[in-house]
Amino acid sequence: MTQSLPDNIWRLECQAVFKGAAGGYLFGVPLLYTVEVWSIGSATGSWWLLAVLGVTLLVVWLLTQVEGFRQTLRLHPIEAVMESVEALGIGVVCAALALILLRRITVETPLSEALGKLVFETVPFALGVALARSTLQGRPPRDRRITAPLSRHLSSPTLASVRDALVDLDATVIGAVLIAFSIAPTEEVPLLAASLPPLWLLLIMAASLGLSYGIVFAAGFTDRTERAQRGLLLSPITETLVAYLVALVISVTMLVLFQQLNQTDPWQEWLSNTLVLGLPASIGGAAGRILI
Amino acid sequence: MDVSNSPSNSSPDSPQPVDPPPSGRFTERSLAEWVTFAIASLILIGLVGLILYDWQVNQNRPPAFNVTVSEAVRITDGRYYVPFAITNTGGRIANGVQITAELQIEGEGDETGEQQIDFLSGHETKAGSFVFNHDPDSGDLVVRVASYRLP
Repeated sequence: MTQSLPDNIWRLECQAVFKGAAGGYLFGVPLLYTVEVWSIGSATGSWWLLAVLGVTLLVVWLLTQVEGFRQTLRLHPIEAVMESVEALGIGVVCAALALILLRRITVETPLSEALGKLVFETVPFALGVALARSTLQGRPPRDRRITAPLSRHLSSPTLASVRDALVDLDATVIGAVLIAFSIAPTEEVPLLAASLPPLWLLLIMAASLGLSYGIVFAAGFTDRTERAQRGLLLSPITETLVAYLVALVISVTMLVLFQQLNQTDPWQEWLSNTLVLGLPASIGGAAGRILI
Repeated sequence: MDVSNSPSNSSPDSPQPVDPPPSGRFTERSLAEWVTFAIASLILIGLVGLILYDWQVNQNRPPAFNVTVSEAVRITDGRYYVPFAITNTGGRIANGVQITAELQIEGEGDETGEQQIDFLSGHETKAGSFVFNHDPDSGDLVVRVASYRLP
């Protein structure tokens, strides 16, 4: 046992890293083939790139709390941070390899352009790495990770149930990010938003809510007994509304991240673009709640 | 018997490692995991370093252009293909760089060509050709950058 241990940890670690990389490619490939991402990436300034990396690390850290790419089910808070750094690192390497393979980065590519492309393509890859444990796990009963609270204050019953509700919301977040991420950088969003008649946005909102409700509740795909037992079941209407708000927050974040919206744009543009992207995001969120 | 024959395993039927206390040390992190962490950190620090270096070197220098027209004019089917190369000698990227070529020939009037380049990063070179019906050597050829957009 003592002799096989050193060999074992390296093999296990390699398996974990490759699993993470596989998850990264699964998630990252759609954006690899999106021309807008390359051009947005090439044209982005340095501070913005750093901000994108920072936001990615934050989201990956949140995902690592419940998903991650290692099999570990109990996690020390510092370990969660370290695993997020590793996930981001794996994401950078995978994205770089893919960009080189597709010749988006060559020897002649100027440094700033290569960095921009790399940073923007890293985002979906890193998210994929952080979700690798659950996306590549075939068995239906998925185990959620438990991250130990940093201090005793956070382990009070009220806060624990708030945390559980947030864990439930992460399915919405993952689904919405997955769908919205590959739509947000495209030119179709402002194009669609610009061509809508004034009150049409209300119709889009209604459709988003209706589809989200229909997918999760009316279609009756889900087995909700498990969540009901944990006492987390919000009423269907409330859950749909909360999920829609989450989808809208994700949409606006994505649009800002991809510089589709900036401060000089009028608020009407912010509103319409966000609501237009909110439709696919809320559908993704609903799908996420069913599947994850 | 089992004591003498199993020197390394003091408790062969011991279960999986006991769950660590919820907020204890993280001793269960293996050496391999530390190596991964070290490599990942190095990659990220390197990336951030490159971004900062690029900012230091390039971001404060606005786009500037240098257009060179090649002497090697190609003649195919009576048309003259004049190769050109444009380089962004500045640091920042330029969008929609507009290159115009004007060929003035005595008594024949002007011939013009236009070319738009979508993205031209700092230090990047892109090449193409202008096509004329008249021999550019017999007239006055002016190739220049007319305009560009900032991203």
